[in-house]
Amino acid sequence: VIAAAGPLVLVVEDDPDLLALMDMILADAGYRVRTAPEGRAALARVAEEMPALILLDMRMPGMNGWEFARAFRERHDRAAPIVVVTAAEDARARAEEIAADGWLEKPFDLEDVVAAAERHAGRSARRDPSAAR
Amino acid sequence: MAQAGSGRSVAAGGDDAPRSRWWRRQPGAAGRIATIYAAVGVAWIAFSDRLVGVLSADPVVQDRLQTIKGWGFVLVTALLLFGLIRRSERGVRALGAEVRATVDSMADGVLLVDHRQCIVEANRAALALLGASSKEELLGPAEDWGRRFQLRSADGTPLRPDQYAVSRVIAGEPVAQLEGILRRADGRDVHVSVAASLVVRPGRPPLAVAVLRDVSGARRLDDMREEFLSTAAHELKTPLAVIKAYAQLLGRREPAERPALAVIERQVDRLTRLVQHLLDSSRLRLDAGAGHPEPFDLAALAREVAEHMRPSSPAHQLAVEAAGPVVVVADRARIGRVITSLVENAVRFSPGGGPVLLRVAAADGEARCSVADEGVGIPVERQAHVFQRYYRAHAGTPQDYGGLGLGLEMSREVVERQGGRMWFESAPGAGSTFHFGLPMPRESA
Repeated sequence: VIAAAGPLVLVVEDDPDLLALMDMILADAGYRVRTAPEGRAALARVAEEMPALILLDMRMPGMNGWEFARAFRERHDRAAPIVVVTAAEDARARAEEIAADGWLEKPFDLEDVVAAAERHAGRSARRDPSAAR
Repeated sequence: MAQAGSGRSVAAGGDDAPRSRWWRRQPGAAGRIATIYAAVGVAWIAFSDRLVGVLSADPVVQDRLQTIKGWGFVLVTALLLFGLIRRSERGVRALGAEVRATVDSMADGVLLVDHRQCIVEANRAALALLGASSKEELLGPAEDWGRRFQLRSADGTPLRPDQYAVSRVIAGEPVAQLEGILRRADGRDVHVSVAASLVVRPGRPPLAVAVLRDVSGARRLDDMREEFLSTAAHELKTPLAVIKAYAQLLGRREPAERPALAVIERQVDRLTRLVQHLLDSSRLRLDAGAGHPEPFDLAALAREVAEHMRPSSPAHQLAVEAAGPVVVVADRARIGRVITSLVENAVRFSPGGGPVLLRVAAADGEARCSVADEGVGIPVERQAHVFQRYYRAHAGTPQDYGGLGLGLEMSREVVERQGGRMWFESAPGAGSTFHFGLPMPRESA
């Protein structure tokens, strides 16, 4: 409810603890957050409203990150940047595999999540008063 | 067996041995038989006429006896010749059958290709490997064969006939062992390793022999290891990510607990590094690549590592000495882990605290980074082993401060993959200095 005008970030992550936490810190930073535990649910969220950024885990039960990225690009091309958030031994390689816009290695610092959101989704309404107009 | 295919073999009968003078040559079986035959023949001619004289004085009878003797000679000689030729034929046939049986019983597929690039022979294992029911299916031009079995390189790109190992060998090119993919007659793909070599035949055009081995099992194992690595990374790092993130969150909400939460974070980071070491070490065994090379400043990376490590080693004075930027082209993340690993060792083996100095400089076209400590040093007799996997130079000594024995082996491997080298000096009781050098891009060297 706070800063309902902030850019929308879609977090796709199968670990509920991590999902809850990312939701919390992004909301704290003034973003509107939607979450999905796997790719198919994420595609449904995207269909409802195109986010300004997708934070994407790769290994997930159901539709995984690779499949989601392919399906998303087929339907929406590059309508939203994708940042891979992965515990893979080589996060960068994963990001390159799906031609992602960036990557975050797990474990990450909370600041890194917010910084990634700022870089790819723009500053949030709360942090940047000019965006709140 | 499946040696590199640059080997040349010489077909039986080719004599590369220096020719000796004929009278000094050892007579073989043929020589022996001819000698005995000549001796018996001369003796027969000399003594049979006398025998005829002894048997009868009548010239008519003598004439008859001479004729019979002649016929007898021809008959005996013919029988002898027949026996000898049959024996030698049997020998040749037996040798051929033995060679064929040997080639047929080989576990690897063998194809023999002539100078016109036609497959002229195939063994049983080759039939089994390709799922063919008869040898005739395999014989014929190599090009047809390659098309029929969809010969591709290991990455799946179709091969042109002039790229086949046998074609290259016949063209006189040395060919190392290659890997490729074939589609069997039943439509299943097999990964094969191919070793091709030239068979030189004196006075005749050469042949190429290709030895095919099914390596699909090894490929599957590699795929499983790949999957295991990926799962291990996910399973080990996801909980670490959750712990770290919640520790940071608590630190924000409860400023009074920040020091305690910082300890949790540091230990999570330490565990993460260990996990990453294990993953890197397995990854390096799995693929031969250099990772993601990119240009970066080695001095800046060293400063970053020192900055990151400082909070976890308050008793040590981590300092970085660099005159200016030193740009290298390498996998930045991996080199970062190498420096981190060297700093961790320096800290671990100077338990009383003290200076840990990182130096970055360019010298002789090489970007050098060294990490020096004034700690316990490495016992002289153990110095030769420090780069061995799992080797822990201080195991069983009072200075055993832990570690997995992976860091140095992995570090050197990473550096060598980037075209660099790693070395060290150490004096027991006075400390160690580990160095690595990376080649510098030419324009900045």
